[in-house]
Amino acid sequence: MSEKLKQIINQQSDQQNTDLTQLDDIVQLVGFVIGEEEYAIPILSIQEIIKPFSWTRVPQVPAYVLGVFNLRGAVIPLLDLRLKFGLPSKNQSDETRFIVMRHGDDVAGFVIDRLTMAIRLKKTDIGPPPDTVNGDDTIIDGVGKQQDKIITILKVNKLLERTF
Amino acid sequence: MDEFQEILQDFLVESFELVEKLDEDLVELENNPEDLELLNGIFRVAHTVKGASSFLNFDVLTHLTHHMEDVLNKARHGDLIITPDIMDVILESIDLMKALLETIRDTSADAGIDVAACVSRLDKITGGDGEVASPAVEAAPVAVAPVVEEVSAPAEDEVDYDNMSPDDLEAEIEKLLQERQEEDKAKREAKIAAGEEVLSAPPEPIEEESAKETPAPKAEPTPAPAPTPPAAAEPKKEEPKAAAPAKKTPAAVEQTIRVDVKRLDHLMNLIGELVLAKNRLIKINDDVEERYEGEEFLEELNQVVSIVSLVTTDLQIAVMKTRMLPIGKVFNKFPRMIRDLSRELDKKIDLVLDGEDTELDKSIVEEIGDPLVHIIRNSCDHGIEVPAERLAQGKDETGTIGLKAYNEGNQIVIQIDDDGKGLDTNMLKKKSLEKGLITEKEADSMSDKEAFGLIFKPGFSTAAAVTSVSGRGVGMDVVKTNIEKLNGMIDIDSEIGVGTSMKLKIPLTLAIIQALLVGVQEEYYAIPLASVLETVRISKDEIYTVEGRSVMRLRDEVLSLVHIGDIFEVERILDANEHAYVVVLGLGTSKLGLIVDTLVGQEEIVIKSLGDYLKGIEGVAGATIRGDGGVTLIVDVVALMSMARDVKASPMGESGGEIAQSLEKTSASDYKVMIVDDSKTDRTIMRKALEPMGITLVEASDGQEALNILKSGEHNFDAMLVDIEMPRMDGYTLATEIKKYNKYKNLPLIAVTSRTGKSDRMRGVESGMVEYITKPYSADYLSSVVQRNVNFKAEFL
Repeated sequence: MSEKLKQIINQQSDQQNTDLTQLDDIVQLVGFVIGEEEYAIPILSIQEIIKPFSWTRVPQVPAYVLGVFNLRGAVIPLLDLRLKFGLPSKNQSDETRFIVMRHGDDVAGFVIDRLTMAIRLKKTDIGPPPDTVNGDDTIIDGVGKQQDKIITILKVNKLLERTF
Repeated sequence: MDEFQEILQDFLVESFELVEKLDEDLVELENNPEDLELLNGIFRVAHTVKGASSFLNFDVLTHLTHHMEDVLNKARHGDLIITPDIMDVILESIDLMKALLETIRDTSADAGIDVAACVSRLDKITGGDGEVASPAVEAAPVAVAPVVEEVSAPAEDEVDYDNMSPDDLEAEIEKLLQERQEEDKAKREAKIAAGEEVLSAPPEPIEEESAKETPAPKAEPTPAPAPTPPAAAEPKKEEPKAAAPAKKTPAAVEQTIRVDVKRLDHLMNLIGELVLAKNRLIKINDDVEERYEGEEFLEELNQVVSIVSLVTTDLQIAVMKTRMLPIGKVFNKFPRMIRDLSRELDKKIDLVLDGEDTELDKSIVEEIGDPLVHIIRNSCDHGIEVPAERLAQGKDETGTIGLKAYNEGNQIVIQIDDDGKGLDTNMLKKKSLEKGLITEKEADSMSDKEAFGLIFKPGFSTAAAVTSVSGRGVGMDVVKTNIEKLNGMIDIDSEIGVGTSMKLKIPLTLAIIQALLVGVQEEYYAIPLASVLETVRISKDEIYTVEGRSVMRLRDEVLSLVHIGDIFEVERILDANEHAYVVVLGLGTSKLGLIVDTLVGQEEIVIKSLGDYLKGIEGVAGATIRGDGGVTLIVDVVALMSMARDVKASPMGESGGEIAQSLEKTSASDYKVMIVDDSKTDRTIMRKALEPMGITLVEASDGQEALNILKSGEHNFDAMLVDIEMPRMDGYTLATEIKKYNKYKNLPLIAVTSRTGKSDRMRGVESGMVEYITKPYSADYLSSVVQRNVNFKAEFL
């Protein structure tokens, strides 16, 4: 019995090891839609995804900063990615979500039009941002290729950076 | 190494605490040189620091404290009277000691500060020749030993040792030491016989201990080896004496533990969360009470809620108290400061302290020190006159500065009084004019209080020449900014020739505050209650415009006004009321009226930061979470005051330009009508009647839904058909709500109802309905009424 058990345990640990090596090459992303485009951010930088609720306007900020909202006792800024990306604002629908992203100590909520899905991409399938965007200033981390489409992967630290 | 660090930390904490008390004690000592209790206390400090620093190998500090100890020891034994000159040297040495401790804190070493001059002065006091080598130069503190000898030597008689030959000196010393030793022996025996507990320990271990603590005598390489053992024995006599009172103190000391401030801060944050949850619970309780009035379980719920709320409040107070420090911690340094200043300025000044036990939040205690230093300097320099002048005016030669702290409601008041010459408003105005701080017009219309406030203007100074004490015109400006940072207020009273009294009013704590919640349009803001003087309800015609600024008359004052909506860029969606409320804000000596639409009430709020992303927004001090879970911004009154200066008054009640009227209609479907009725059948009947026209129809099943559709702005309606009796929100309420919006002022509302009473019709008209259709109606009639109200173009028919 114990022999058998050992075998199983060994097998499992072997499997886990192979899993881990595979994980190294795979990036997990969450895809979402803003306007017509699909974007993605690393799953680990997402604190949570919530349904929209009310927020409080804050004065003297650019239009894409909608204001602040209460996330279980913490006051967190809310940014509209449509406005940030220069698209006209749209009323919230049933599919609208707030994605709360975290990078280090910075946390903010982002309004997106619609979630698509969790995506697993091989690192080899991710290309650099197009040459037309310049240097370090870009918020594009790379471009992920899937069978039928490409997804723009965003830099969370750039999204959370105050630019005003 | 870690262990050393730990010991070092303890040493520093202890030393700083001791030194802090020292200043006050020393000044007190100068007044009562005979106070043995005080002397003993001061001696103990020097001794403790010396002991610990020698153990930690801080040679410079040991060297300095050792000499301080000598001087104090002599004074303690009545061999030395503390004169102001001696006190100067002692105070100087304490300053050096502080500097050394700070260096140790920062660098873990005591190098870099030269104590030689001070040590030699100390040495001279004790009768030495002042030639003391500093340990930094020599490997072992060789020269310290002779000092030890000299301490005791001149104590015996007044022989002039300076003129003795070295041999004579040695002989003399030897003789004296022997004498002393025998004396000691006899004394000790007598005491042991008397059964004194402390001294009952065998002398050997004490000797060991003292030798360890004062390594100096052991390293004695002086020509004659003879004095060495007695010299080593010398401190032995002192040790037990010094130790005796020290050993007694622990019993008297309060039971305390040291807690990291971070932990307290964390605890405070948690309490903050709890307060928010409590607020929320109270709100829910109110809602439940309304809905289930008369139910039995309500009473139980009520009890639980009130207990939770009570305990939370108590808990909050308890935690706040753990963060409290007595203001005496700040007051302590002032006796010394006054003493130094009065000597420097050649004035005679007494400082009277009162209410040192008054407690304040730690963060405030840390902030309040600087402003007080400036105010007191100011009082000494400008307030109190020189003795001759005081005598000429029939005042006591010695001026008095009173420093008093007391509780007043939710605030701490710190009052600084002086009996000096007082503030001369005319002179203040003249000076301000000269420096271009105010205009002549302003000077003329200024009240006395406002004129007193001039001393807080940056760049203002009445001193004719810049002295080391004041005259640069910086200090009082700092006072104002610091106090305002703490949400505090300054109140000045002064009478020429009698004196000046300044009151600083500071809130007890910073994290949780009382706030006044105000509403503007659909938004709410929290104003720290400490800055609110009063609230007034006014009608629009009480507001005047002077030079593009709104003002109003408040009793006998003219108050400048600013609309909160202008400061926070609030969109004017709702129509302004005929009446508004003015929140009178007071900060330091300036006042401002803030116009708001509604007053919501007073609430206890927890200040939360807006985070890095949104920090630094002018006019917003932070945010708080309300009982309903929403976020409310907290007004930064200081910033608001300065923002108000730049804001142009926009006339109240005027909407921001006419909203573009419905676009040109190009087809029948461009017309949009909303049908509001709770009955599906009724909605269908109306739809059937209107569909032939080809217009667009939107349905809502009750008032609330209709209002939400309107608010969303998705559709631009040309008319609404409203049923009167509906759940959630009836037709009248809906109409009243809709009419509040400027945008929908002219939107035709058509009541469609089975109510036919005259009073019903009246109510309809009152709430803003333009037509009143009673059920049942014919499809043609409904259609024609709608056509008439939306100005339906005939060509689409």
